[in-house]
Amino acid sequence: MMKRLYSAVVDGKGFDILLVGLPLLFLITFSGLPLLYNVLMSFQEVDIFSLGSLIRPFVGLDNYRALLAQPEFWPIMWNTVIFVVCSIFGQFTLGFALALFFDAGFRGASFLRGLFLVSWVMPGLVVGAIWNWILSGDFGVLNYILRATGLISENIFWRSDTDFSLWAVIIANIWLGTAFNMILLSVGLAGIPKDLYEASELDGANVWQRFLTITIPMMRSTIGAVISLGLIFTLQQFDLFAAITSGGPANSSNVAQYWAWELSFRQYDFAKGATISTIMIITVMIAALLYVRSTRHEVRG
Amino acid sequence: MTQQPQIELVSVNKHYGGFHALKDISVTIAKGSFVALVGPSGCGKSTLLRSLAGLESITTGEIRITGETVNETPPRHRDVAMVFQSYALYPHMTVRENMSYSLRLKRVPKTKIDAAVAEAAKILGLEDYLDRKPNALSGGQRQRVAMGRAIIRNPKVFLFDEPLSNLDASLRVHMRKEIRALHERVGATSVYVTHDQIEAMTMADHVVVLKGGSVEQQGTPLSLYDMPATKFVAGFIGSPAMNFVSGEITGDGGSVLLDLPGRPILPLARQATPGRKVEAGLRPEHLSLAPPGVPAIETRASSVESTGSVTYLYCGGDPEIIVLSQEREPLSSGEPVRLTIAPENIHLFDPQTGLSIGQAAG
Ligand SMILES: Nc1ncnc2c1ncn2[C@@H]1O[C@H](COP(=O)(O)OP(=O)(O)OP(=O)(O)O)[C@@H](O)[C@H]1O
Ligand SMILES: [Mg+2]
Repeated sequence: MMKRLYSAVVDGKGFDILLVGLPLLFLITFSGLPLLYNVLMSFQEVDIFSLGSLIRPFVGLDNYRALLAQPEFWPIMWNTVIFVVCSIFGQFTLGFALALFFDAGFRGASFLRGLFLVSWVMPGLVVGAIWNWILSGDFGVLNYILRATGLISENIFWRSDTDFSLWAVIIANIWLGTAFNMILLSVGLAGIPKDLYEASELDGANVWQRFLTITIPMMRSTIGAVISLGLIFTLQQFDLFAAITSGGPANSSNVAQYWAWELSFRQYDFAKGATISTIMIITVMIAALLYVRSTRHEVRG
Repeated sequence: MTQQPQIELVSVNKHYGGFHALKDISVTIAKGSFVALVGPSGCGKSTLLRSLAGLESITTGEIRITGETVNETPPRHRDVAMVFQSYALYPHMTVRENMSYSLRLKRVPKTKIDAAVAEAAKILGLEDYLDRKPNALSGGQRQRVAMGRAIIRNPKVFLFDEPLSNLDASLRVHMRKEIRALHERVGATSVYVTHDQIEAMTMADHVVVLKGGSVEQQGTPLSLYDMPATKFVAGFIGSPAMNFVSGEITGDGGSVLLDLPGRPILPLARQATPGRKVEAGLRPEHLSLAPPGVPAIETRASSVESTGSVTYLYCGGDPEIIVLSQEREPLSSGEPVRLTIAPENIHLFDPQTGLSIGQAAG
């Protein structure tokens, strides 16, 4: 028996299983179990005393009902939608524009493109601190620029004005994610054979038509991947909220992921925190599914 | 021949930074003709073709298409179609969409597009593949789609950049004929780049031989074969390649003494400068076994290969002389042979400049 197991490992097939199995085991232990635990908690009654035990009173969908009944639920969900949609839109458009710009291949293009990665390697909290200064109402650079260009006449208090607090985080998040979008889209652009552009140019296409009929369709799977990953990353964005607005004032910049943390670790309502997390897990899973499907549609000659 | 030429290249020069890729190229291409640009790798064939298409800009000189200077005209306004070596088919479009792409850009009515696609597909035998994507086609079929995409536009000029180099040998021979037949049928001016001299010789009306960025010689295929202006052209055109033997004109100027064992002396068809050092060019197919008594190269057959229809004799060693005979020569390796050639078939070149001296009459 041992011998058979040993030879199975050595002669290849068993080794393959081992290779796949170990990371899978790792994933199940450190991602799968906490995930399941979280889902389980969302159906239980949890308080500070029962926190340590696994078996707790089962309450069905009570946590979900209670959460939906809270007056801030829908505003926060709506904030989350605005945050995700606007962040992704901004990151993607800027990232694509930059990728196209650097794809023109002028001198020093790859060096400059490399510099953009700086924003990507910076921790969210550091980025948040930097943006705190930029967005600061009294001495912030952004207000200075807006006033200098005549776009505003009075300082905007980005972080403490309920009309602008969410946008303060969105702007910082767009800045943070643009480099990532740009790099992935650059790779996609570089994968399009140059002779396709030449052929379409000879076929009579102008710049805009080449973009629409060659670039976009050839980038379809890359675009799908970038947007799906962007969705996942924006839904995970926590540091910027913690650093810039702490979800306030008056929940005006609060989003689901930050709220879940607040409920669990500020108000010690772990069940509700877990409930929000579960709702988000489902959303992210749908996004992941879309991502996997988009990569399966690879079109390459 | 009062007709205006379709394409004129006047002293075209192209520099890539410090690299002089095209050197003072002047070529005139008649309307409806099939012109081959041929030369070894890196000689600037693709660069010249891409300059014609407008994909590269030239440094100096002028390119005219139907009399109009197009130096500054972008590719899409030149009315030329190009078949790429890689085919450059749009991978995300079906064969039908690939072929109709240019017409759709021009907003041609759908019924007209359908008719045009149907006709092109019929000419090229692609009717059954119209709804496939390029990655579901064989090399030959892709090649045809690339041509279909070109002919559907009915352009002034067709440009081909080594369109057959990715196909296997037999398909290449077949497509050669097809492209030529297509040319006859469509009648548009075609410029065809190849490094294969056989393709150039069999397909073109006019062959331009390029070397190191400049035109070495141009003319009809047979004129290049019969009267190569330089040693390079002589060696490039014809297969197997011409044999070159160095030698010297004899004192009476009527014969050439070859630097071969036995110092053979071959008579020439016309007078040359006595004592001049030369490079004699002898085509394999012009050499034959000498009857006794005539002046001949005395050597040994180092190997004999027969394909059934022709026999290749590899003679001597330094330099090796190849003989192509239509007969089945009853020879075996190592046997002594005597080779002769008609005086008018001896080509003479200057050893320094490589230029032809006292051309063979053909
Ligand atoms: N973008 C470029 N920058 C610098 N040099 C170039 C560039 N494109 C081509 N060249 C040089 O110009 C010369 C001619 O190139 P070209 O592609 O025209 O050769 P070719 O005759 O088509 O060769 P092949 O038969 O291998 O395709 C080559 O020596 C090449 O190195
Ligand atoms: Mg080439």
